[in-house]
Formats: sequence, C-alpha cells, structure tokens
Amino acid sequence: MRRFSGRLRSALIIGIQGIRARKTRTLLSIVSLFLGVLAVVVVQAGAEAANKAALANIELMMGKDGTVQMWVPDEKHALSLTLDTLKGRTDAVGTLGTSATIGEPGVNPVNPGGGPFDQPGEYGPMGGGQFYCDTRGYCKEVPQQQQAEQPPVGAAIELGLTGFTGDIRPFRPYKLTSGKWLDFSGPPSLAPRIVVNKVAAKGFARYQIPAEMRIRGAIANPTPHIIGVVDDGQDRPMAYVRADELTNWVPTTTAGTFGGMEILRTQEATDVEQILKRRLLADGLTNDQFSSMVIQSKKEIEGQLAMFRLIFLGIAGLVLLIGVAGILNVGLATVGERVEEFALRRAVGTPRSLLAGIVLAETLLTGLFTAAAAIGVASLCLKIVSRVLAGRAAFLADMEFPWQAGVAGILAGLIAGLLGGLIPAIRAARIPIATVMRA
Amino acid sequence: MTALIELSGVTKTLKGQQEPRTILSGVDLSVHAGESVAVLGRSGSGKSTLLSLIGLFDRPDGGQYLLNGKDITKLRERRAAALRSAEFGFVFQRFFLLKHLTAAQNVAMALVNGQGWLPRRHRKARVMAALEQVGIAHLAKHRPARLSGGEQQRVAVARALVRQPKVLLADEPTGALDTETGNLVIEVLHATTEMGCGLVLVTHDWDHARRMGRVVRLSDGVLHPEDVEVGV
Ligand SMILES: Nc1ncnc2c1ncn2[C@@H]1O[C@H](COP(=O)(O)OP(=O)(O)OP(=O)(O)O)[C@@H](O)[C@H]1O
Ligand SMILES: [Mg+2]
Repeated sequence: MRRFSGRLRSALIIGIQGIRARKTRTLLSIVSLFLGVLAVVVVQAGAEAANKAALANIELMMGKDGTVQMWVPDEKHALSLTLDTLKGRTDAVGTLGTSATIGEPGVNPVNPGGGPFDQPGEYGPMGGGQFYCDTRGYCKEVPQQQQAEQPPVGAAIELGLTGFTGDIRPFRPYKLTSGKWLDFSGPPSLAPRIVVNKVAAKGFARYQIPAEMRIRGAIANPTPHIIGVVDDGQDRPMAYVRADELTNWVPTTTAGTFGGMEILRTQEATDVEQILKRRLLADGLTNDQFSSMVIQSKKEIEGQLAMFRLIFLGIAGLVLLIGVAGILNVGLATVGERVEEFALRRAVGTPRSLLAGIVLAETLLTGLFTAAAAIGVASLCLKIVSRVLAGRAAFLADMEFPWQAGVAGILAGLIAGLLGGLIPAIRAARIPIATVMRA
Repeated sequence: MTALIELSGVTKTLKGQQEPRTILSGVDLSVHAGESVAVLGRSGSGKSTLLSLIGLFDRPDGGQYLLNGKDITKLRERRAAALRSAEFGFVFQRFFLLKHLTAAQNVAMALVNGQGWLPRRHRKARVMAALEQVGIAHLAKHRPARLSGGEQQRVAVARALVRQPKVLLADEPTGALDTETGNLVIEVLHATTEMGCGLVLVTHDWDHARRMGRVVRLSDGVLHPEDVEVGV
C-alpha cells in the first residue's frame, strides 16, 4: 500500500512536471482529439434525445408490444355485433372514435379540427372552399354550412372523442393525473362521464368552457360530466367515454360517424376473434374486410434507433481514431525527445512500470481534459439550441444534457488516451539505461 | 570485512550489428567501503560496459557478482531498480540535467523515483544538504541554462549523492570540463570516500587516477593492476 502510494505520488509529480514543460504539445493533442470526442458526445446526446422523443409515448399511442390489434369496418351490422361480442370482456377492448365540440352553443371552436391549442392554425381561403390549416400542415375543409353561417369563434373547443368497451389501460397504459378513470361496471349513465387528456384539460382551464357537448352525429346534446384527467401521450385534445354511453347519443346505425372500430386484445384471447369473425361472416362481411396484427412498434423503433446510433457512433469513432493518431504522433515524438530523460530516470532507480505509467498518465490526462472541454461545449450548444428552438419542438424545451453523453465522452477520452499512449509508454519502458553512457 | 562489491570472473558479450563481441572476458574486482578505484583503458576497451554491470544497468553473462556478500549475478529488473536507487549513485560525462527543472528539482529527481516516499519537507532538506556538500546550495533555484559546466556537473554529483549511496560510479565525469573545474569535481567525489562511500572512477586523466586509492587498467577484457604511485 505504501509502495503504491509512493509510486502514485511520484507519477503525479513527474507527470505534472512533464505536462507543464510541454504545454503546447498537450494543447495540440487536445485539439487533435477534440473533434472525435465531441462527435461521440453529440451522437450520444442526439440518440438519447431521439429515444426520448420517439419512445416516450409510443406505448400510450400505439399500444404495448405484443398487443393484437384488429380492425372492423363500419359495414352492415358490424359495429353493433362487435359491441355485443366484446360486452363484459376485459381481455379485448374495442374503441370507437369520433369528434365532439364542448362549450358555448352556436360558436366555432377555438381549435377547429381538434388541433393542439399551443399551435393554433388559421382560417383562410385555399382553392375553391374554405380551409383550415394547423401548423403541422394538416389542412381540412371547413363544412359548407359552417362557412355560410360564419359563426364567430367562441368559448368552445373541439376534441377527439373515443368510446371504450372496457378498460383500455392494460393495452395503452394511460397515466391518471387527477380525478378518476372510467368505471366500466354497472349500467351506462345518461349523463356521459368523460375523462379528458392533459391537453384538453389545459384548454378547459384556459378558455373557461361551459359544459355542453356537441357530438358529431348525435341525436341530442348531452351535458358531459368530467371525472378525470389522464396523460395519453397525445398532443391534441381528447376525451374518453364508455362506448355504451357514447352509443346512447350516437347510435352505431348512424352511418359514417365512426368509420370502423379498433379492437385491442391480449394474445391469449383468440376466441374473441374467432367468435367475432364467425358472426361478421354470417352478417355478410368478407374475410378480407378485417385484419389483425401484433403491435411491435416499440421494438421496431428501438431497433431502428439503435442501428442509427451504431452507424453514427461508427462515424464518430473514425473521427476519434484520427485524434488517436494525433495523440500517438505527439506521444512518440515526445518519447523520442525524452530518451535521455527516461534512461536517466531508470538509472536512478525509477521502475519501468512507473515510466510507462507516467507516459500513459499524461495521455490519459490529455484525454480527460479533452472530454471535459467537449462535454462543456456540447452542453452549452444544447442550451443555446433548446432555447432557440423550444418554440418549434416541444421535446427540446425541457431537454437536459443526458448523463449518458457525458459518460460516453469521458470514456471516449480515456480510450483515446489509452490507445494513443500505449505504444509510447511501451517504448519509454524499453529505453536501455546504457543510453546515458553512450550519449 | 566483506567487500561492498566483489566481481569474480565476470564476462560480457555484446551483440553488435555483426558477430557478437566479447568485451569483458573475466573481470575480478573488489571495492570496500571507503575505498576508491580508478579504471583506465583505451577507448572501446569496455570501461563503460564494466560500470554498467556494476551499476546493475545490465547483467553479466558469466562469473559472479556479490553486493555486500549477497549474490546478485542474476537479478530481476524490479529488484535491480530498487538497488540502483538505494545503493548506487551515478555521474556521467554528460550532465543529463532536465532543462525545465531547477537545480534543486533536478537533484530531487533521484528521490521522486517511485522507490519509497519522502514528504516534501524531508525531500527539501536532503536536496539542500546534497547541494551544500558540492558547494552550490546558493544556486538551488537556477535552471541548468543559467549554470556553468562545472556547476551543472556538481548538480549531477549532488543528484548522485542525495540518497546517500554506498557506491559512487563515475564514468569520465571530468571529460567535458576544463582542468581546474575537473579537479574540483574529483575533489568532491573523493571526499565522499571519507564518509565510507566506495568510489569507482573511469577516467583518461592520469592526475585524477593517481588521487584514487588504487588504479587498474582494462585491456583485452581483463583488469590489470597499474603500477603507479597512488594517493598523491
Ligand atoms: N550495445 C552495444 N552492442 C554492441 N557493441 C557495443 C554496444 N555498446 C558498446 N559496444 C562496443 O563495446 C565496446 C566497449 O564499449 P564501452 O563503451 O564499454 O567502451 P569504453 O571503454 O567505455 O570506451 P570510451 O573510453 O570511448 O568510453 C566498444 O567497442 C563498443 O563499440
Ligand atoms: Mg565509455
């Protein structure tokens, strides 16, 4: 132990003397290595950001991997047959989607088309009719009758309205942020209970909406009863309701309202699919009108992201290799210059391992300095970029410098230092002492 | 009394570019504490090679080497480094001072070598004592570029003395100095024998050789006693 600490301290003193005597060289090594380490840091930071953006909500929006997704068209009696088949099942849940406007009667919603509130689109003429475009570039024709009346924009919001036949959360794990989730036990209520998502909740808070709900295709306008708020990963306002309460107001026989029905089921619940298919075929549908597939979105995206990360890390590694060559070059030149010093140090009793250690310590320190510089520059750039672009991409707004990128930078610096220092270190250790006598 | 150094029948063959050459073919030499020996010999006779064997830079091919009575003929490099640090001090023809370090730091180099650890305060005391011993304590903070040749060689001698070695090995230490400065350095080296140090001095200078306790000549790979009046 004492011997070790003596060596360590000796190495430290000699190493620092060496670096101080060759500041320019150290600086040159850092410069040659900087781009490579920076590239590694940037790739890692970018990959973490992409992961965060792409994977955060994928299960909420698409469904957990392994869930079987099935599609039933709105043909003949398909919807009511499906609703009937799914009644009481928890291992298979159907969803019915439509849209609704909640708020003051007789006004246009503040977000026609059900877009997000933070990215309000604008009304405007386009081609023949009146179009509404949101900032994502989605354009939608404003219905003729609305155009004719031109009702003022008022205290109402438009949102997507989805009915569930059962608890969807085993398949899409919505996170309850306040209130309660829908209760699927008991008979349906005549005043529909709805759960809204965070975006819709923000809209309600901002525009102080009085609660009357106009549902597309409904036979009357019910007064909804908001019982909870969930995080569903969507960036547009949504409301969720029991399917049987929704069909109280919008009968499945109203053609064209729902367009079809999405069913999510566990892989074990194959019987649901068999029964349903039999009944739908009996009703006159054909086999090619419904399809099912297993959701693999997360795995697929993860695989793609990992591949991209590898490709970019490979490129960064090449740049790093050039830096290693730089360190190696400087290191070899330095050892060549220090032949006499190292021979003398060996003559006065410095062990070879310590000499090799000193050379390695110098390049490792250089690598660490470089990593520190690269991490500093990268996190500074990230701060600037996220401040400038925060308005355009929401996920950049709360972007922190990912620790994985820092670790990767330090590792890259150390590995480069090791690779660049190893050969010079071995050379230093092999210098014969007799050099001091023949010089 | 056992000799500090006891070489018997030591041989060394060096592999050059062409065929191997036997440089030492059977060297016998003993050096006791407080004794000084001058080694003379033609250029290329193998004087430096002999010193490098005594100083454990290299190992002999044959024969026996006893240090303080212990056989160290076949020694591992790790142990050899420790012995070089603890038992030997070296002075060469060239001074080998590191130009980015001060005189004191150059002397301290022999203490900062990974062989044991002395706290800064003790290091400084030892360094100053060694510089005092060679008479240049007032130059401790100077870098080599600001020292004369004689002063630089005395820094190198202080570096050899700072660990209080049992044996001093000097390979033509005055070769790069004028006569007067050379005499001064030889005096400093010789003075160490009065404190019990063994001294082996390789030199071409008769006057310097004569001041040693004993003079030997290396020729044909063997040491011959030189018949001169010594201790003048
Ligand atoms: N590494 C080596 N390989 C082969 N031969 C060598 C090597 N080093 C030295 N020699 C040879 O060994 C012989 C002895 O060399 P050495 O340096 O010991 O002589 P020296 O007596 O010290 O000479 P000088 O007085 O010029 O310093 C020389 O002929 C030299 O050419
Ligand atoms: Mg010589």
